[in-house]
Amino acid sequence: MKQAALSHFDLPWLPITALIIFVVCFAAYLYWTFKKDNKANYEQASQIPLEEAKSVSSIKKGHTV
Amino acid sequence: MSSPNGSVPASNRRLETFTYDDQIVKWFVIATVIWGAVALLLGVTVAFQLADWRVNLGLPWTTFGRLRPLHTNAAIFAFCGNAIFAGIYYSHQRLLKARLFNDVLSRVHFWGWQFIIILAAITLPLGMTTGKEYAELEWPIDILITLIWVVFAVNFFGTIVRRRERHIYVAIWFYIATIITVAVLHIVNSVELPVTLTKSYSLYSGVQDALVQWWYGHNAVAFFLTTPFLGLMYYFVPKAANRPVYSYRLSIIHFWSLVFIYIWAGPHHLLYTTLPEWAQTLGMVFSVALWMPSWGGMINGLMTLRGVWDKVRTEPGLRFMATSLTFYGMSTFEGPLLSIKSVNSIAHFTDWIPGHVHSGTIGWNYMLIAGILFYLVPKLWNTELYSKRLANIQFWLATIGLLFYVISMLVAGITQSLMWRAMDDAGRLIYPNFIETVIKIVPMYWVRAIGGTLVLISFILMIINLYRTAKKGKSGPEAVYEAYALDDYSLEAGAAAHRKLEGWPMIFAVLSLIAILVGSAIEIVPSLMSDNYITKISAIKPYSPLELYGRDVYIREGCYLCHSQTVRAIPHEVIRYGKASEAAEFVYDHPFQWGSKRTGPDLARVGKKYPHMWHYKHFYDPREVTAGSIMPNYKWLFDKKIDYSTLPKKMAVMKQLGVPYTDEEVVTSVVNAKAQAVEIAGELAQSGVPQKIVEMEVVALISYMQRLGVDYTSMPEEEAPIAEAEVK
Repeated sequence: MKQAALSHFDLPWLPITALIIFVVCFAAYLYWTFKKDNKANYEQASQIPLEEAKSVSSIKKGHTV
Repeated sequence: MSSPNGSVPASNRRLETFTYDDQIVKWFVIATVIWGAVALLLGVTVAFQLADWRVNLGLPWTTFGRLRPLHTNAAIFAFCGNAIFAGIYYSHQRLLKARLFNDVLSRVHFWGWQFIIILAAITLPLGMTTGKEYAELEWPIDILITLIWVVFAVNFFGTIVRRRERHIYVAIWFYIATIITVAVLHIVNSVELPVTLTKSYSLYSGVQDALVQWWYGHNAVAFFLTTPFLGLMYYFVPKAANRPVYSYRLSIIHFWSLVFIYIWAGPHHLLYTTLPEWAQTLGMVFSVALWMPSWGGMINGLMTLRGVWDKVRTEPGLRFMATSLTFYGMSTFEGPLLSIKSVNSIAHFTDWIPGHVHSGTIGWNYMLIAGILFYLVPKLWNTELYSKRLANIQFWLATIGLLFYVISMLVAGITQSLMWRAMDDAGRLIYPNFIETVIKIVPMYWVRAIGGTLVLISFILMIINLYRTAKKGKSGPEAVYEAYALDDYSLEAGAAAHRKLEGWPMIFAVLSLIAILVGSAIEIVPSLMSDNYITKISAIKPYSPLELYGRDVYIREGCYLCHSQTVRAIPHEVIRYGKASEAAEFVYDHPFQWGSKRTGPDLARVGKKYPHMWHYKHFYDPREVTAGSIMPNYKWLFDKKIDYSTLPKKMAVMKQLGVPYTDEEVVTSVVNAKAQAVEIAGELAQSGVPQKIVEMEVVALISYMQRLGVDYTSMPEEEAPIAEAEVK
């Protein structure tokens, strides 16, 4: 079955192109992401869900700010 | 997030006040629980129908073939869809510190989506279906889905434009990928030519259609049931645990890897079929590669809970979230495993697959939704959860029910597959009668139905708990919030490339689109090049008018949900059914009908295997000819008259799609169909069937069944294409 699969594999440039694109992109964002000088930024970003906007007052339904 | 530029005095920045639109979130929450109950009730119903055929009730619109698409559509698009919108609208506003872009669009989105669901609930039981799994809805509803999705997208991206938070948090990336990819999948897979308001034919045929359909089908799971839920996970798990996500960097790797790789995996649904080998292998390799990002996400989610495992014991919301992540890990381990060709040859077409699917939809989606709802409802209604005890009972019922489901289907699947392939020393099938393999696993169908019932009960308990919670809550005045406007002070000097990208939503969206289009384009290549690798066989002719009508009846009744129409090039299948299928056999099939499950036997070679009378009896009461059959009766086909008036239009549309009907064949379609019906009815009359049967739909369906595989199996050997010659 493996041989049969390989014998029908007549468009090798397609997956190879995709593989190259993937590896290049993967390497690029791995580099950007794990660059040391980005650490503080990402730690800050991870806090976003925990930082609620400050509640200052409340208004009755139907009124807009 | 406060500006990292600490040197800017606050007095130089503009402080703005705003409110959140939580009313729309409440509506989507209510819709989630209502449609969730409906989806589960339908699921339990079809589970019992498989355990005992009498639960089909003998009515057209309560039969398995019509209810099963309703169950899947309700579970995916109604239950999970509404949950996604509730979760996204809640988290999106808070992550961006902005009210949703437009209240009117929010309401159009809500009511439009509910209207689509109601249309699905009406049309699917009536048999109005395209015959493509998870994309069954007919063309007017497809257009409506597109419009409402655009409304959602405008509302979503408009909110980003109005945001007060520079950085776009990782959850929103997952939402962006979802919105873009679902739009691409839906539009490409739904290209069809209308015949009437309620009937259309797919633009694609045979292998093309199969590839596009499973590119869509697999990615419906990926981009409707996975990426939006991962986005929700990245918001709600940190919120519920009150801890930041374990590794923000890992989430970035997780996102890009998942978005890029997932889109390629569709062909693993078509292994050993007539899809080109290279496309099958590609699908398998990328499916296996999915292990990495999937587990990266699971680990990131679970590790976020480090230090708060004591809360997982006491807080129902967190407990459901932790369990959902565990099931996400299990199902994303099982998925790639099932994509390996040797494993797939055992598992495909068996009950193992529904078992796998439900470990995802119940274990991952339902559990995460429950966790989110236990977080959201007390927040939205300003109160505490009504009963933690009730939530705990719900949790155990759901978990035990799911285990019953998954284990029974795993056992059923492997049992049946081993029976299908069992051969003696002489190379003969040990279980040549398919029904033997069905009867063996019926007890497992009962276990599955009981498991599903437990899950349904657990859901009802959740509804009670959430209702009581909301009832004791107070709908107080709308809160007003304040945050700094998005100005130049929030810009980060010297930020890295990816960091900058995270603040540019539109460019980010375009890059996400490119990421999914690379895989899609390469996967669609076989379709575009199908003329190169499919050698047309002159013996394969288009369906006659009556057969075409019969095929539409076959699609309407959802026969493809239990019967496949493709013989894989695997020894036991060839021995059981006949010659392995060839791509050229399906060039006139709009849509393809290969199916994905063999509750009953494959039908690709059923033509002329039995006399007309056998089929006649079989449709009236399958147990008359197959003792122990679990197939429903189709007695209404014996009372419903053939609507010949639709045939010329059907033929004309097929001709437009490339089926080589002549103008004369289109014009004479009614006469020819009636003549063929008379021929079949004449043979049935010899066995004592009343002559009036000639007008009934069962005759058309018999004509279609008798045609399946006949052209190919009856042609001389020398005309058969040689496998190697098929691929240029």
